[in-house]
Parts: sequence; C-alpha cells; structure tokens
Amino acid sequence: MRLDDKLQLGLANLWRTKLRTVLTTLGVMIGIGALVSMVSFGTGMQKNITQTFKENDLFTSMQVTPRKIDFEQAMAGNVESIVESLQEDTPPLNEGALKTIGDIRGVELAFPEIRFPVKIKFGEYETQTTLRALPLGMGHYKPYNNLDYGQFFPSDTASSVIIHPRILRELKIILTSDKEEQKLSIEDSLRGVRTLSADAIMGKPIEIITSVVDFNAIMKNPMRQLRAGTNTPTREASTTLTIIGIQKEGSAFDGGTRFDPGIVVPMQTVNRIPRLGFSSIWSLLNTSGSTDTYASVTVRVKSITETDSVQAKIERMGFGVFSIADQLEELKTGFIIFDTALGAVGAIALIVAALGIINTMVMSILERTREIGVMKAIGGSENEIKTIFFIEAGSIGLIGGIFGLGLGWVVTLIANVVANYIVARQGVPHVDFFYIPIWLILGALAFSILVSLLAGLYPAIRAARVDPVKALRHD
Amino acid sequence: MNPILKTIDLHKIYSKGNMEVRALQGVTFDIQRGEFVSIVGRSGSGKSTLLNLIGGLDTATSGNIHIHDRELTQMKRLDLALHRRKTVGMIFQSFNLIPSRTALENVTLAMAFGGVRRKERKPMAGEILERLGLKDRIDHKPGELSGGEAQRVAIARALANKPQILLADEPTGNLDSKTSAEIIDLLHMLNRKQTVTVLMVTHDEVSAATVSHRIFRLLDGKIIDEKIVGSLS
Repeated sequence: MRLDDKLQLGLANLWRTKLRTVLTTLGVMIGIGALVSMVSFGTGMQKNITQTFKENDLFTSMQVTPRKIDFEQAMAGNVESIVESLQEDTPPLNEGALKTIGDIRGVELAFPEIRFPVKIKFGEYETQTTLRALPLGMGHYKPYNNLDYGQFFPSDTASSVIIHPRILRELKIILTSDKEEQKLSIEDSLRGVRTLSADAIMGKPIEIITSVVDFNAIMKNPMRQLRAGTNTPTREASTTLTIIGIQKEGSAFDGGTRFDPGIVVPMQTVNRIPRLGFSSIWSLLNTSGSTDTYASVTVRVKSITETDSVQAKIERMGFGVFSIADQLEELKTGFIIFDTALGAVGAIALIVAALGIINTMVMSILERTREIGVMKAIGGSENEIKTIFFIEAGSIGLIGGIFGLGLGWVVTLIANVVANYIVARQGVPHVDFFYIPIWLILGALAFSILVSLLAGLYPAIRAARVDPVKALRHD
Repeated sequence: MNPILKTIDLHKIYSKGNMEVRALQGVTFDIQRGEFVSIVGRSGSGKSTLLNLIGGLDTATSGNIHIHDRELTQMKRLDLALHRRKTVGMIFQSFNLIPSRTALENVTLAMAFGGVRRKERKPMAGEILERLGLKDRIDHKPGELSGGEAQRVAIARALANKPQILLADEPTGNLDSKTSAEIIDLLHMLNRKQTVTVLMVTHDEVSAATVSHRIFRLLDGKIIDEKIVGSLS
C-alpha cells in the first residue's frame, strides 16, 4: 500500500468524525496559538533591543576608562579587589593617550566622554536632563546623521544645541507635523501643553542652567557652610545656545531613561558652560588627581569586525575597555532563557492538547476495532495500520498548527494594539512588542506535528496490535 | 502431485481465563490445487479455528501448515500479512465489510493493500463485482445491500488480489436458504471455472455435498471422518 493510499484512508477517517476532529484540532490550535504568542513576545523584545543597539551604532562603540574595572567584582561587593586595582599604577588617560588611541588602525573617532546634568529653559518652561558633548565626527553616526529637523553642528565651537523630542514633551510642547493640525486633548490643555511646529522651535534660543561652586559664598562665611541643613555653596550659571536640530523619535527602548542625554552640544562649546568639578559619573573613579586626564573616552570603530582587535590594543595600553559587543553574547543567552520560559508556558497548553489527541485516537480505535480487524484480514500489515493512525494524529497536528499560527498572530496583533494604547498614555511612542520570525513559524509547526505524532504513538501501536480473530468474531 | 495446502498434527490451545480450551488436537490433511473441500461439525468443534490458522489470522500452538512449500507456523507477522494479502482470500459469516465504504471501495481497499496500481483498481474491482452480478450495487454501502449481495461483495473483495485459496467461514450462516444456495453455487462456479481452491466451513452438510470434492467432519478438534463426494477431473 502506497503512502497516498494511507493518507487518503487516514484523512477519510478524520472526515468521518468531523466534530470530534474539529474539537481535537481546536485544542492543538489553542496550544500552538499560546506558544507562538508567548515566544513572539520574547523575540519581539530581543528584536527591539538589538535593533536599538544597531540603530545607535552601539556595536561599534566602546568606552575606555583609565583602568580596568572588574564589574563582576564590583557587583559582588568585593571592595578589596577594587581598592587593589585602584592602587595599581596605571598610565594616565590624557591628551597623548587619546591621540594614540585615535591613531589605532580601525578607530574612526576617539573623544573624551563629557556629560553632566543641566536644567534647561525654553520660553517659560524648564526641565532637567543630561547634556552631552560630541565632536563634529559624530555627525556621521546614527542617530545624528538622520535628524528629524535641522542639521548637525557646523563646527566644534558653534553655539548650537540638538534636542531630543522627549525633552520637548517635558517642556510641554507637542510637535505638529506640517500636514495636519494636531488636536489637543482637554487633559493636555489643562496641563498647559502647547502645540508648536518645528519652525517655531528651530533657531530659537535655549537656556542651559548649570550649578557651579560659589567660591564667594564659601569665602564669606566658610564655617556656616559646614553646618548641616543649610544651602550648599553653589549658584546657578546660565548659558544661552540656539536649537539647530531635533532628533528623531526613536523606539521606546531608545533613550528611555532620564540619564540619557536630552540635549547635545559641540565638543568645544561645552567648555563655555560653567559646571561643577566633575564632568560625569566616570570622574568619580578618576583618582589620579591630575586635571588634564579624562575620566572616560568614547571610541568609535569603523566596523563591527574591528571591535575586537581595537579593544585588545587599547587594553594592552593599560586601559579598561567596556563594549556592548562584549555584553551581547550574555544578552543572547539571557534571551534564550527568557524565550524558553515563555515557550514552556505555551507548551503546557500544547500538552493538554496532546492528551486530547490521545483520547480521540483511543476512542476511535475502540469504535473501529472491527474495521482494523478487517484491514488485517485482507492483508494490512501492522506497519501500514500504524502509519494510517500516525497520519491521522499528524494531520491533527499540522492543521492545528497552521490555524494555531493564525490564532497566535491575531492574538499578538490585538495584544499589541492594547499594549500600545496603554503605553501611549505615558507618552511612549509606538512599539511592536511581538515579532514572529520564520524560525518560530517553522518551529511551531514542527513542534505541533511532533507532539501530535508522539500523542499518536500509543494509539497507533494499540491499533496495530488488534487481534483480528477477536475483532472479527461475530457477535 | 504436490498438495497446495498441507497441515501436519496441528494443535491449538486457548486459555480462556483459567480454563484451557483445546480447540485443535492434531489435525492432519492435505488439499490439492483446484479442490473444493468442506469442513463440517458442531459448534465448538474447532472448524473456525482451523480456518483462522490457515488464513494466517491466528498462530498454531504446535504442528505445521505448508502452503506452496512455505511453512506458515514459522512466519513473522509481516509475512503473515503478505500471506493474507496474496495467497488466501477470506469470507465470513457476518460479511465483515467496512460499513462506511461502498461495495466498490471495499474491494479497492483490498487492492490497495495488495499493491494494485491506483488507476487499475476501479476497473478491476468493477469487473469482478459485475461478474458476481452486482453491477447495479457498485456504489451502494453495505447497509443498503441484502445479505446475499453483501456476501457477494465480500467474495469479490476476497478475490481482489487473485488468491490461490478461498477460505469461507460459514458463508451462508446469515442467509436464507434461497440466497444460501446462490452463494454456494457462486463458490462452486468459481471453483470450477476459475480453478480457485476452496476450503469452506459450514453447518449445511447437504448443500456442501452437492459442490465439494471432499468433506471433513471435525469433532473436538480432530478429523473423525473424511467423505469423498467427487474427484478432480
């Protein structure tokens, strides 16, 4: 008997008990639907995060610090080893070192990392954010090579600012596109939110307010400052710059925290902004005391393939290097665990469906004992009968799998709309939370068929072992 | 002349709960090609058991069955399936047609197992059914057929793969006397014209005597009498 004959027999048997077949298939469909929607959430998250990394060229970026800091030791609270490493004699990360790093083959750009908290004032509104200084060369990199409005800095000394739309929202401004006039909700109007076109923002002055140590205050009354609860000896300094660009609204995973720079200024211009002695979190680790060293240097390499060799060369100079590419492998492992956990939840539904298949098949064999006996009497072999039942189980798996994929897809569509509706109220731009890659589609189908065949194993063996003499005994 | 079928000291013991049922206790006989042999005897004499052993549906406890010099009692399960498929055709008292399939489909199913090519099955099955007088009944399901028609479909199915031996287990047991006579005539015709060897188990000794070459009488699992009615010419 050929395979197509068995296929025809198996499908005819399923067709004969339509309701039962449909119900069993529904079980598989729900199981696969659950599996696909769960796992696609994990893959969606992974895609969003790695895409953000890619969009920001984070894989070609690394951070150089004066000495290697063992983050694992630090996390474990192993203070001794950190103190030990701080006491080691290390080369200074100064102008000379910066030049040497910049000359390494494969390095495109090397510049000191300068970022500090500022208060910004635009019109009557103000907010707090982080300012970052960037050299002219960063204009070739994402996201600065693709601004929503305006251009990157014309020079390293320009009095210009590029602003992130998140900051505009914090300044209670909603950008209107040229085409349509955006309607404000009553809630927004009450909060004082305004709509402005990009033209109304571009070229307008923005005030950067920073805290500086007020030496005069300290000199006047040094003792008073030591008492607790009184004002710190700082005063505010203001610098006015011009907005020349607005960044694109990235994904929700891009610059979502308040610590990410909300405004960017040119590398030399930043020197005109007065500020407290330390320029960034890295400065806290800078214990050499010398003023002409950098706390941290950002390095951009030409391509991902050169990241490893550049990193090794800088480390040989005695500096510490931190790169995202390093962390990627760990991140991937984390996502595999995450996906597996989600998949396991979905798989439970499929196991329940498998029990349904076993039940259906065993019932069917009990009803068809005589028919199986007849097939044996006219020459059906055990393997042929086994195959017919495997085809029945496998078909339930295949059809359930296909419809389950459809169900999973619809569920993720709906869940995505609902989730976006909720997060949109918190000002987060649209995110695709779910992603169904081709391997998930094929994997889910294969898994569905595999589970169904496993479920059909016992019934098929039982069918093959039907004793024809007993089955055909006339009642 | 070599017998087509030969059994030697065949024993079959069932265990029914704690009881041991000795269904066959040393059956030895042989049948020539083209013979029509009937086995008669009371219920429980072991007639059907003997037929099931020869048909390869059941295995003997001891003894031998030779068919074409092949030893049935030593066969593996797959070889037994091939034996049922190609060498013998079986018909039963209760027809054992598949109720969800039409007369034609019941016959083509056997052909599918027999490896007949897909496009040849329908014409071949149709031809057999037509020859057995079922031309108008080809697309009827077993539930729509009379007992005699159903048994003729079963015979058509048994002949589907051109077996050498037709095994008939009480083929007229569920039929009235007129239809019974028709079925017996049909088997007789197949035996004489198609030279199919027939081994029939029956209650109806009278009608068996009209068509058989030999009649064996079985009692308590043993052949107690062999009557020669006619001979192969």
